[in-house]
Amino acid sequence: MESLNLKKITSLWIITILVLFVVAIVLGIVMRLNQGEVIKLEPLAFYTNMTTHGITMIGIWFVAGMVSVNYLMERYVKTSYSINLFAFVLTVIGVVILWTCTYIGNFSSGWTFLYPLPLKDSGSAPWATPMYLVALTILGIAWLVWSVSLMAQVLKKYSFSQLLAWQHLKSNPKVETPPFILISTVTLIGVIASLIAAVIVIVLYFAEYFSNGNFVNDALLMKNLTYFFGHTIANEMLYLGVAVIYEIFAEVSGRPKWKTTWYVALAWNCSLVFILTAFFHHLYMDFVQPEGLQIIGQLASYLASIPAVGVTVFTIILAVYRVRIKWSIVNLLFFIGVIGWVIGGLGAVIDATISNNVVLHNTLWVPAHFHTYNAMGNVLFSLAFFYWFSTQHIKILVISNQTLYTMGLLLIGGIGFLIAFYMGGADSVPRRYSTYPSGLASASYLAKIGASFAMLYLGAVLIFFYNISKRCFGILYSSPY
Amino acid sequence: MFRNFIFVAILAIQSTINAQHNISTLDEEKNIYEKISNVPLKIVNRDDVRKFELLYKEKPVILALVFTQCSGICNPFLIQLKNSLQFIKTDKNYQILVLSFDSRDNLESMSKLAKRFELDNAINWKFAITDSIQALNNSVGFSPLWDSIRKQFDHEALLVGINQEGYIAKKLIGVRSHYDLELMIRSINHIYTPSYKLPAKNSLFSCFNYDPLTGKNTPGTGLLIIVLPAFITAIIILFVALISRTKRLSS
Amino acid sequence: MQQDSILHFFLILAAISTIVFVFVFFSSWQDDTNNEGVKNALRKRFWFILILLVSLGIFASVTIPKSPYFLFADEVPSKIIHVSAMQYAFLLSEKNIDAKNPVGESIILPSNRLVEFRVTSLDVNHGFAIYNSEMQLITQTQAMPGYVNSLRYKFDKPGKYQVLCLELCGVGHPVMQSTFKVQ
Repeated sequence: MESLNLKKITSLWIITILVLFVVAIVLGIVMRLNQGEVIKLEPLAFYTNMTTHGITMIGIWFVAGMVSVNYLMERYVKTSYSINLFAFVLTVIGVVILWTCTYIGNFSSGWTFLYPLPLKDSGSAPWATPMYLVALTILGIAWLVWSVSLMAQVLKKYSFSQLLAWQHLKSNPKVETPPFILISTVTLIGVIASLIAAVIVIVLYFAEYFSNGNFVNDALLMKNLTYFFGHTIANEMLYLGVAVIYEIFAEVSGRPKWKTTWYVALAWNCSLVFILTAFFHHLYMDFVQPEGLQIIGQLASYLASIPAVGVTVFTIILAVYRVRIKWSIVNLLFFIGVIGWVIGGLGAVIDATISNNVVLHNTLWVPAHFHTYNAMGNVLFSLAFFYWFSTQHIKILVISNQTLYTMGLLLIGGIGFLIAFYMGGADSVPRRYSTYPSGLASASYLAKIGASFAMLYLGAVLIFFYNISKRCFGILYSSPY
Repeated sequence: MFRNFIFVAILAIQSTINAQHNISTLDEEKNIYEKISNVPLKIVNRDDVRKFELLYKEKPVILALVFTQCSGICNPFLIQLKNSLQFIKTDKNYQILVLSFDSRDNLESMSKLAKRFELDNAINWKFAITDSIQALNNSVGFSPLWDSIRKQFDHEALLVGINQEGYIAKKLIGVRSHYDLELMIRSINHIYTPSYKLPAKNSLFSCFNYDPLTGKNTPGTGLLIIVLPAFITAIIILFVALISRTKRLSS
Repeated sequence: MQQDSILHFFLILAAISTIVFVFVFFSSWQDDTNNEGVKNALRKRFWFILILLVSLGIFASVTIPKSPYFLFADEVPSKIIHVSAMQYAFLLSEKNIDAKNPVGESIILPSNRLVEFRVTSLDVNHGFAIYNSEMQLITQTQAMPGYVNSLRYKFDKPGKYQVLCLELCGVGHPVMQSTFKVQ
């Protein structure tokens, strides 16, 4: 069973994540207020905010997924406490350096640091770009070591083919691979690949940086690698949350645990392939990318939805439909999170269609869809885990009125905030603009609406934050008795 | 595996060769879709003087500018052009016009040049001189410099692709691969190319080389780098799996 | 406009999904202890996946030929416009743009004729997005240093068109724009 040390480090992670989450939401609201011309920031201040918001959100929800998976994995295999702690320390160091780069060094090239902008960004201090890359290296190493160590632990119990549940593809498998182990494995493989892509990008950056102009990178290669990393990690962190659903949704609902079947095994093996090739959809508007890869991008993006919706979402619907289950805040958050995931996925599939992408690429449609499956999907998965983790010993999982109000606030805030994004996307409003040109009539108006609703969302998050971290502090300061 | 290494090594060498040319990236885009000057041409083995217009209306033209007394790039340039074109199997229309930009050249010297390259009987090849070379040079953005000490022109190796309407559809500077030549042949035959790469300092890391023959891009070394993350991941996992396996079996 | 139909399509699908989930949620509150979920779940799942696969297949085969790389591929452009993007301006010119001394000119394009934009960048990645006079995005490509992207388009309405940058290129990103006329 989970040791006290693991509970403590998990509590520490959760509190840190939630604090950073609240701060990053505030940064997001500040951006929307500036676009709505309610407040006035210098463009440089806006872009440092934007960069910080992006990298912080990606970082915390990735580690949130890793923390949950690490915690639940202890049910099957022994995980390394020291590596968990090592990842925590390096993550905190990495975040501190990143914030230094953005707020003191004015690094403002966006969290994806698309080549060659960071090398030609006049607004930032000369040390900001190399230091940003160093911070990413620290995070990359910490997370890589963490992912590989988790892989190594499960590989001590299961063989590689068992991890991918290949024996379930035949009839009468002798060993059962729990779905949680299967999904964690598939996801961790993707995570490792994406982190290695990041390391290669950073190495190529440094090669150019230290070559005094003798070595120049190829912009197309760098863009491919950047989105291999960026898209894949953003996609995989959602799947870490899905792994948690497979493990505890049935449990908290008072139902028998889900089993791996042949179609679950097949679906997740397919996902492994599709996720690693879907990133090509970020390069549709780069006509230099060969047409073959563009079409692979569209097909892989489409196909990625089939195992996800056909297996996972369908399984959750089956688990609930006309089945009397014990509803609590935990499975309710999971359930609503799945709706957010599906709707965000619909927005994503529409945008991953090349002929639509021509009029949607880099408009507000892009933040619209990824905020849907993050703010209304992945965040809810992680909040559900946090609730479950923090209350597991107290067993007060009833839905109180206060819970219902908080959920209502979260939903209204989230939906309003997202609709402003989608409408902006349909009105051709560009993303990543600090202020809007006067011709875009609806842009700043929609930004104000988005900011107002985001404040409601923030309110709900603050209530969750209070409830969860209060109990996590209790765990953190608890003694072994 | 070994073949891949050789492949990478050749590309590395090629890229250093490319680097030596050191051309400004947008030079090849100059004069694109401008009309070629309609100068009168005197063509070897033909008696009459005919306007350039008659030539390109008949077939799209690849124009190579040379001079016979060149001790530099002209010879390797023509050899490379001849060899590359032999490789190209295309149903597309084109003819090659080798034109002297040196007023000292006459039909006789051009005829000798054709014989030396065994091109005097080649159907698609024409060797010619003109009395209005300056107008032509201006229209294609070609500016050779006379070096009075070496008694040579200082010039770049330039190919100009001209379509049947007389517009410059593509320019190539320097000795280039047959891929680039094919791209030129497609351009002068009005075939849409969604994108192409500009000559760059290094091509070692570019992902694709455009293959105009099929209209597809062929993988370059950069592509190996794109699949590298997946490859390294596979190695790491296999490695971890092997170590864990021995532990699993021993326990 | 394409964007409006995309938004409506999305909202309809989102509404359907939400209704299904809400319906499923309330079905679990029914006070009927004998209910134990769906019968023949595997067969239903099979049909669900098949329908999903077929509809995605149809959607892909309809949309892929409309990709910009295949549009107007067989036609000859009546005009070529060179575009060089740089921090923070677009240079448009009927002549080639010299990288060492880049200058643009004002552009007037014919309507209902094929125009080809040859788009490149002199520094970082930029976007080259064309907005019509109602400020609706009608087409775009990326401007990448070292590469030329050829964007083809036929403007059916005369008027003033704006070009905006759609790829973050530094602090001047939102002010980077240009205009041209179609007659």
